Amino acid sequence: MSGDLLRWRNQLLAVVRKEIRQTLQDRRVLFLLVVAPFLQLLVFGFAIDLGVDAVPTVVVDQDRSPEGRALVAGLLADGTLVEVGEAASVAEAEAALARGEAAAAVFLPSGLARDLDRGDPATVQVVLDGSDPTRSGVAGGAAVRFFGARGLALARDRLEARLGAGRGLPSVEVRPRLLYNPTLSSPVYMVPGIAGMLLLIVTTVVTSMGLARERELGTLEAVRVTPIPTPLLMLGKVLPFVAVGLFDVTLAITAGAWIFEVPLRGSLWLFYGLTLLYLLTTVGMGLLISTIAQNQQQAFLGGLMFLLPAMLLSGTLTPIHAMPSWLQPVTLLNPLRYYMEGIRAVLLKGATTGDVAHAALGLAVLGSAILGTAVRRFRKRVA
Amino acid sequence: MRRGLVRIGALAAKEALHIRRDPFTLYLALALPLLMIVLFGYGVSLDIDHIPLAVHDEDRSPESRALVDAFTAAHEFEAVGALEDAGAAGEAFARGRASAVLTVPAGYADRLARGEVATVALLLDASDAQATQQALTRADALAQVVTAEVVQARLGGMQVAAPLSARAWTRYNPAGRSALFLVPGLTAYVLAIVCVLLTSLAVAREWERGSMEQLFSTPVGRLEIIVGKLLPYLALGGVQVLLVLTAGAWIFDVPARGDLVVLAVASLLFLVGMLGQGLLISVVTRNQLVATQASTMSAMLPSMLLSGFMFPIANMPGVLRALSHVVPARYFITVLRGVLLKGTGWAELWPDLGMLALFATLMIAASTARFQRKLA
Amino acid sequence: MSPAIVVDGLSRRFGRFTAVDDVSFEVGRGEVFGYLGANGAGKSTTIRMLCGLLAPTAGDAVVAGARVSTQPEEVRARIGYMSQRFSLYPELRVAENLEFFGGAHGMGGRSLARRLEAVLERVGLAGLGRERTQDLPGGMRQRVALAGAILHEPAVVFLDEPTAGVDPWVRRRFWGLIRELADGGTTIFVTTHYMDEAELCGRVGLMVAGRLPALDTPEGLKRTHAPGRVWSVRGGELPPEQARLRLAALPGVLDVQSMGAGLRVRVDRHATLGADDLAASLSGTVEVEEDAASMEDVFLAVVDAEAQRVGTAAAFGEA
Repeated sequence: MSGDLLRWRNQLLAVVRKEIRQTLQDRRVLFLLVVAPFLQLLVFGFAIDLGVDAVPTVVVDQDRSPEGRALVAGLLADGTLVEVGEAASVAEAEAALARGEAAAAVFLPSGLARDLDRGDPATVQVVLDGSDPTRSGVAGGAAVRFFGARGLALARDRLEARLGAGRGLPSVEVRPRLLYNPTLSSPVYMVPGIAGMLLLIVTTVVTSMGLARERELGTLEAVRVTPIPTPLLMLGKVLPFVAVGLFDVTLAITAGAWIFEVPLRGSLWLFYGLTLLYLLTTVGMGLLISTIAQNQQQAFLGGLMFLLPAMLLSGTLTPIHAMPSWLQPVTLLNPLRYYMEGIRAVLLKGATTGDVAHAALGLAVLGSAILGTAVRRFRKRVA
Repeated sequence: MRRGLVRIGALAAKEALHIRRDPFTLYLALALPLLMIVLFGYGVSLDIDHIPLAVHDEDRSPESRALVDAFTAAHEFEAVGALEDAGAAGEAFARGRASAVLTVPAGYADRLARGEVATVALLLDASDAQATQQALTRADALAQVVTAEVVQARLGGMQVAAPLSARAWTRYNPAGRSALFLVPGLTAYVLAIVCVLLTSLAVAREWERGSMEQLFSTPVGRLEIIVGKLLPYLALGGVQVLLVLTAGAWIFDVPARGDLVVLAVASLLFLVGMLGQGLLISVVTRNQLVATQASTMSAMLPSMLLSGFMFPIANMPGVLRALSHVVPARYFITVLRGVLLKGTGWAELWPDLGMLALFATLMIAASTARFQRKLA
Repeated sequence: MSPAIVVDGLSRRFGRFTAVDDVSFEVGRGEVFGYLGANGAGKSTTIRMLCGLLAPTAGDAVVAGARVSTQPEEVRARIGYMSQRFSLYPELRVAENLEFFGGAHGMGGRSLARRLEAVLERVGLAGLGRERTQDLPGGMRQRVALAGAILHEPAVVFLDEPTAGVDPWVRRRFWGLIRELADGGTTIFVTTHYMDEAELCGRVGLMVAGRLPALDTPEGLKRTHAPGRVWSVRGGELPPEQARLRLAALPGVLDVQSMGAGLRVRVDRHATLGADDLAASLSGTVEVEEDAASMEDVFLAVVDAEAQRVGTAAAFGEA
């Protein structure tokens, strides 16, 4: 029995040592395992900010009244819209939209001040470049809300004046309280997600290409003639990359905390536990791809076919609840989804083991299914 | 000249044969764009709605129910149930069951009846800044609507015409559909991935196997080698452009309002630039694993992050904004959105076409120069 | 002592194609057993089954006491294997490659280090452990691969076309190593398509289209499959093709083949045809020497016989 254990230890060590030596031997591979993810984290962290502000706006003021100017000033006050110039006509403003110089145009019709003074309904027109619907939605919403609030306030003043002093009109006010990320910083939410995506790129792609390379070289056959049990071989091949993954994720949250002020509210043990489970699914996927791919090119494209959907359907960039209902169940098969939910809850919200049990379970089930399939496919003796 | 053309033709035919010998790669190269179209078109909704909302109503009056109804009737929020205890909000957030909790305090209806300001609390899981922003905007708008209703009820149903209002007209994409925004950008992204990767991998493989040196021993010129290698991939890229745009038009009703000749010219320039970049990478790296990573870093990520495809360039720090000017996808996406959505043409888009032409020329020149040096 | 390899009715089919068809033989301990055949004749498939890499569809084999159908892992623990492609990691050093293959067989620590030194010494690469494998010339890399296959002192070593693509001098040295191994009691099973290498084996099995129609010592094979005397004929004034026809027409001549600048004539052992008769049939100064039958004669004769047995097209389609 102990003889078996010793043999297994030697076999596992041999594979692990070989993988590490191969990796360390090529500086460029080392770079892509360690430095590249760090750079990507920085670029992603700074680049992904879906918030909308400073929408370039042209103003078409045909009223030329102090009231009109005051309204425009009020509209621009919160910085959502920024005036980039004036236009003489609506046609001129729309040309600016077509050229992309402006994304919104505010049109104050002549007679606006007069109508306001008389109490006649006055309408301000806002023309939006809808090619970016988020931007046009926010800009349009801001304008409609601003003028609506002004209208409501004016109406209230008039009604109260008519009803007499001391008799106020009711109103409803929403007082928001922001938990976890009160400054609404984008990186705080994105960095954990980016860490998950980077792990996927590094571990899945490198594992799948590594095995495909052995197949191309012919060394895989030589390894298969040795008495190494397949699970041990697989384990030895993935362990170094699991270690690299753990290193990368440590780098990511350290950089995240320092540079982007991502909080670390929950237990780090829980965070690393989830990471370990997640890494088993990503390296397992790499192995599975490499049992199908015949060469490195195919392995990489195969990795991409897994990677891109996994990233999009994980809730990293846009929330899952905003997806169409037929697509939502598909995300249940996505390891990144569980990991993302789990570590965001742990890092940002201080979730406990009980809170993320479902994510851990999802990862464990997917991981064993993926690894099991990979080992079975690899073992199947094909000519 | 004629002999040069024949040699280019022979090289291109050989390269095309390589592509055909490996049908798996070919399928992937064609399936990937379609997969991406469907995923981005359906899976990415920039308009965040159905934010899971839990309600904690301490007032339990018809007025408070009307408020809750107003919130949950809007598609931005989706009721996920009542919360008995306000303290349970933290747990609901941590488990991801709710992202917002609306608390209506006791005495809400009474305050309205007295004509006072009634305040309700909206507790938000703000970890997703983008969704939170939209939720805040929407909650404000809903408060306006509810206030107007309450005032109207107070005045005995008298219609109050708002003395001031704004009307928004949305050009190019009146329904505000994310797909119209994403599909043009996606075209550039997919082309950047597939073209740079396929060329860099295919040529890096030739370096690895040493068949490139063999080509050098033939009387074929460097530029001829480059053109011959690129031609089949250029054709493949052309097929992909058509595939993505046709799928976009069929599945997501992406219009084509402008001059398609402009689009064709831009696609050609962009493809040549991307293929040239892939070739340059392969000459420099000569190793497939390293070539994939170089392609990922220099083409795939910038085309996604710094092109304006999804993430607004205006929000980025100065360094990244400056970097985005050397990302060709940025200019291609401007042309695509201009031609497809806005119906613009040469007059508006010539600067972008110029940048694409410049990039293509630089890439071909650089890879030819590197080829010369490798030989020397 | 039981034989090192016992093969009994071994067959392997891929779909409708039969790669190995009902093959049986035995290999004794310390024997150098050659497996000869054209590309695609079924040599590699046989070796893959014997190494436990591929399950037989019928029949079975016992290698070093373990049954390939039921104990493939056990088989792999007791054998060494070196394939026609260099099965080494090019970017690793020689010692690192060997440490890996030793470790894969469960070796480790001091015993592995000692064994590694001994094996490098044995294959004539002492002191080269720190060299990067890809920087070595082909012949040396091949010896490293052999070192990897014998590191764990296997009872049986399988060499699948070990000398493909290396020059004759290197091949000769390599065969010296094989001989030494066999003298030390290791059983060697080697496939090749070099006829001169087949001469160096104790016994040779000849595979044609998945079958094993001939198996004997090289001398025995020549006696059975290439009987008669062989004459080498050189010179003369006739154009080669005409000379060939002349010789073939003589009574008792079995066949005539061109060989370099001259011709090889195989003559029925019982015919009275002599050197002078051959020379006389051609005009000019003709040099005639008695020559020995070669394995190539055997190979061609066996392929020929098989072709006649199953129909020409089938046999040559495979060869």
